[in-house]
Amino acid sequence: MKAQNADRRDGQRLMSDWATYRLADFLMFSPRVYFRLIERYNQDLWPLQLVFVAGALVVLFAIAARARRARAAALAILAAAWVFCAWQFLWLRYATINWAMSYVAAPFLLQALLLLLAIRLTDRVPMPAGRLRRSGGLGLMAFGALFYPFLPLLSGRAPGTAETFAMMPDPTVAATLGALLAQTRQKLWLLVPIPVLWCGFSGLTLLALKDAGAWAPLAVIVATFVALAAARR
Amino acid sequence: MAITRRAVVQGLGFGLSLPLVPRVAAGQSADLLTRPIPKSGEPMPVVGLGTWITFNVGDDPVLKDECAAVIAAFFEGGGRMIDSSPMYGSSQPTIGYGLRKLGYPERLFSAEKVWISDPDEGAAQLEASRAYWGVAKFDLMQVHNLVSWEDHLPALFDRKAAGQLRYVGITTSEGRRHREIERVMANEPIDFVQITYNILDREVEDRILPLARDKGIAVIVNRPFRQGALIRRFEDAPLPDWAAETGARSWAQFLLKFIISHPAVTCAIPATTRADHVRENLDTARGVLPDEKMRRRMVDYAEAL
Repeated sequence: MKAQNADRRDGQRLMSDWATYRLADFLMFSPRVYFRLIERYNQDLWPLQLVFVAGALVVLFAIAARARRARAAALAILAAAWVFCAWQFLWLRYATINWAMSYVAAPFLLQALLLLLAIRLTDRVPMPAGRLRRSGGLGLMAFGALFYPFLPLLSGRAPGTAETFAMMPDPTVAATLGALLAQTRQKLWLLVPIPVLWCGFSGLTLLALKDAGAWAPLAVIVATFVALAAARR
Repeated sequence: MAITRRAVVQGLGFGLSLPLVPRVAAGQSADLLTRPIPKSGEPMPVVGLGTWITFNVGDDPVLKDECAAVIAAFFEGGGRMIDSSPMYGSSQPTIGYGLRKLGYPERLFSAEKVWISDPDEGAAQLEASRAYWGVAKFDLMQVHNLVSWEDHLPALFDRKAAGQLRYVGITTSEGRRHREIERVMANEPIDFVQITYNILDREVEDRILPLARDKGIAVIVNRPFRQGALIRRFEDAPLPDWAAETGARSWAQFLLKFIISHPAVTCAIPATTRADHVRENLDTARGVLPDEKMRRRMVDYAEAL
């Protein structure tokens, strides 16, 4: 009861305080700390990144191939990538400078579970999705698998901060949304929210860090909704 | 040429020429300006050390050592108060790392916060914070941003009575919930209040700082540079010709001098990742302080830029 009263009271105060916060107020670490964290993570696991990029290409070709078993395997690989991100990046590393990440790891594991459950859809859902949506999805997958590792070069960051599929959330999310758009025609409403919310969070974090690559996760959201809207017409 | 913080600290010998500068012996703080904590009379150097963002470095060994160097420079320069919070990510274990390296200087004044809605979890959080710091007990425990203060304050007063804390306080930042802060200051026997105050954010001058003096409450000032934004805003402009009369030799010192010259302020807690900036900040607590007329002149100059 005491705790409930405190929660209610603080909730009301939080609402009144909300308008006074700016984006930068939510940032609890410096750009140097964040990007050094990614660099050290990359160093720790090198050369696993090469294996993961190869894995992303396998997913891309599996989705493009349209074969039912290939699509099921692609979803399984994506699920494994989400688990790896949650465990190695969010839980073991990012949470050391952002306590909120210990809570975000759970939705990542839930997304992995949803992707595994979606394998059953490959039995029933007819392929392909709309042509525009399908090509948009494949493009998003290529963006996550092949473009993302080179994003630091465009953003003026050290190459050591490269983000690769399964290692880091952003390229994993891009590849996942791309795969879902390209191969699934229905029940996306359950599979899309977590990736889209992450992209929003990541984009805002990078904006607060004043990183020139902040546009990338936000572009993934836009591309996803454009592809979805195109498919409805 | 504009006077930058970097140029000044290097000019003072705090930068690349550091090895040429005689090290300040540990324990030497007699020349730092102090203010008494009103409830006890205990002298407190007017410049402390904040840890928001700057000490949240995770388990990065290079950055942890940089923070340890900041703590070392802080104590070598005569500093006492280090302030942190469970909200600050890995700042608490980073402080513990630095303090362990230094062998826990006796002059440490540990200022922590309880930051949790569920009042039943307050004791566990306090104990976790204590373990991170590695201290036997905290000098000051504050209720962070007034979170569940109605429940936490009685528990903290009990701890103080039992000798498990020395002082109790409340905090806010960036001008939030000042009316509520005033009510707590007026009605609760707190020892410290922590608020935001700087040359452009002066709302606390109207009611909170006078109330603190009336009630004998020590005042800790956070965000003295608006997280560095004030220095970035001013550093391309020249310091006024009369800056030397304030005792300031850089914009950082100009801004800090303004804050610590308010008679109600006990300690300002700028945060930094650099040992040379710590020395520059502590140097503000030496020499002259601006009087009221000069303080008004400083405000006019800053607002005109």
